[in-house]
Amino acid sequence: MSVDFSAFLKSLEDSGLANSLRGSLYYFPFLESFHVMALAVLFGSILVVDLRALGVASTHRSFTRMSTELLRITWGAFVISACTGAMMFITNARVYAHNTPFQIKMVLLALAGINMAVFHLTAGRTVATWDKAPAAPKAGRITAGVSLGLWLGIILAGRVIGFTTTGAEAKEMPVSNVDFDDFLNNAPAGAPSSAPGHSP
Amino acid sequence: MKNFADWLSATVPSIYLQTHEAWVLPAIQSLHITGIGIAVGSALMMTLRLLGWVGTDQTLLENHRRFAPWLTGALCLLLASGLLLIVAEPIRELITLSFWLKMACVAVMVVVFASFQASIRKHGADWEQTLSKRRSVRLAAVLTFVLWGCIIILGRLIAYDHIWGHLSPATKA
Repeated sequence: MSVDFSAFLKSLEDSGLANSLRGSLYYFPFLESFHVMALAVLFGSILVVDLRALGVASTHRSFTRMSTELLRITWGAFVISACTGAMMFITNARVYAHNTPFQIKMVLLALAGINMAVFHLTAGRTVATWDKAPAAPKAGRITAGVSLGLWLGIILAGRVIGFTTTGAEAKEMPVSNVDFDDFLNNAPAGAPSSAPGHSP
Repeated sequence: MKNFADWLSATVPSIYLQTHEAWVLPAIQSLHITGIGIAVGSALMMTLRLLGWVGTDQTLLENHRRFAPWLTGALCLLLASGLLLIVAEPIRELITLSFWLKMACVAVMVVVFASFQASIRKHGADWEQTLSKRRSVRLAAVLTFVLWGCIIILGRLIAYDHIWGHLSPATKA
């Protein structure tokens, strides 16, 4: 399983897209920039809706109206974040896949998805009864708070990836005649790579 | 500026931050990105309301009162965390073209935001009825939001200042 997974990650790194992304001085910094821009819109729009559910801000407005208006913006920003993130990932897939902060970030993202589902299954079902109320019922307030905590964690974990993978690359930088499979099995923390990668 | 950066990097707070625990720098940067999220979110809500795309159940002034303080607060957070980042890495930040281009964009954005704030508080009804419908005003609103994109790109490029080639002071140093 782990061997197959390594082979899959290697094939991502060897793809034409990954090669051209690595080949340019400009692509990676601009991918990162667009990732941050999308993240800013994503986090900003989630904050507006969560603060409304918590009863902190916009408390006199209809929750349904606000969340419906912002839904497209939030999802649009999420898609851009995911695409730019995936493109950064394939430039150095084996390093990222074995990077602990990256793994933490993916777990937190999954939890944010589950948390969103919990909101829809609890407070979301009764929204008609509290749409104009200053705050969501307890379950809605808890999930809104959890959502903000998770997204702050996602931002922090994301930023730490840049620091930890740059170190891994520096340590493992082009060593000639490395046996790839042996190297990966023994030291999964970093694979040799010519990727320009993160600059923290 | 090189002299100032050298002097700053020899000061006690800077040395403290340079010899920090590994998590300190990413933590300050994350705070800075969170500030950008709050600022961009607030700016987006005000821009989209001005364009009449969202939040038309409230007046322009109501929308402004809801989001402008959050933008101001986010700018304070960005200033504080940004200053810490400069103190932690004076040369990496100050001796770059990206940083100063970013500051120029920030200055323009702050002036535009402050003027808008002063004007809408005084002439709320005019903004509601005529100003927000003017093409030039709507274009200016969109351009100001685009400026946030430039600020983010330039902020990220501080770490990659070599892409400016000879224009970057980092390549001469």
